[in-house]
Amino acid sequence: MMTDPNDDMLDDIFAQARAVTPDPSADLMARILADVVSPASEATLVAGPGLWARLSGMLGGWPALGSLLAATVAGIWIGVAPPATVEDFAASLLGDAVTVSLFAQDGIFDLGDLADG
Amino acid sequence: MKAAPDLIVPVPDDALLIAFANGDAAAARDLATRYLPRVLAQAMRMLADLAEAEDVAQDAMIRLWKIAPDWRQGEAQVSTWLYRVVANLCTDRLRKRRGTIAIDAVTEPADGRPGAVAHMQTNARLVALADALAQLPERQAQAVALRHLEGLANPEIAQIMDISVRSVESLTARGKRALAHIMAGRKAELGYYDD
Repeated sequence: MMTDPNDDMLDDIFAQARAVTPDPSADLMARILADVVSPASEATLVAGPGLWARLSGMLGGWPALGSLLAATVAGIWIGVAPPATVEDFAASLLGDAVTVSLFAQDGIFDLGDLADG
Repeated sequence: MKAAPDLIVPVPDDALLIAFANGDAAAARDLATRYLPRVLAQAMRMLADLAEAEDVAQDAMIRLWKIAPDWRQGEAQVSTWLYRVVANLCTDRLRKRRGTIAIDAVTEPADGRPGAVAHMQTNARLVALADALAQLPERQAQAVALRHLEGLANPEIAQIMDISVRSVESLTARGKRALAHIMAGRKAELGYYDD
């Protein structure tokens, strides 16, 4: 059977193509690895939420944080300078104001006796 | 005396890819070392242009990095996936090349070194082959390149191209006939003479 001379040419060129084995240059390797920030470390370094972001996320983001901040400031203010209505309301709930002292009234602050003694 | 068994077993490709996805950047270097030469060679054989082949190789490897987090172990082979991606990227470039002649693709200028002329001749043939591949339907070009430039068996090509073995046989046969027809007119130019 006769072989097609065009096939012979083609087979010869295919063989020459298969012999092409270029060595990747160091530059190409560097280009390929330059952007290699692995997905996991990228998540940590770039997209990873910090403590603040995680807390914010847990609480529902900025709108929720704003409300929380406003409520906190208001609470502190009411504690520092309670309006009369709040004092009255507290009194109505708790009865008369009760003062609790951690120390006996005539205890260690009663230094006069010691000085005199 | 029997030789000691080789205890160093190469880490499987998909294990490296999963390690990379989990933050091990050294695994990417291992994968690149393992596959870049083959990826670059495949692209160079289809395109006959080193700069373009390097771009394709870079593109293919970076696509591998991107797909790493979604890689499903055992479902695909890295080598098969890379063959497919490079073949697709190359036929994309060949399609864009249609109608233009890659006259700058001959990389080495002629000089006085022994073998320089033969080197030029080989380059001219490889460029002619790439030009002819550019004129084939893309699937034919891919099948012919995988069969005759990469030397792969038909079942492997079928897996890469996600088609049946019979389809591979048909594509490679038609593609090779078409290539021979396209290149027939350039025999003398490429240094082939009928006896």
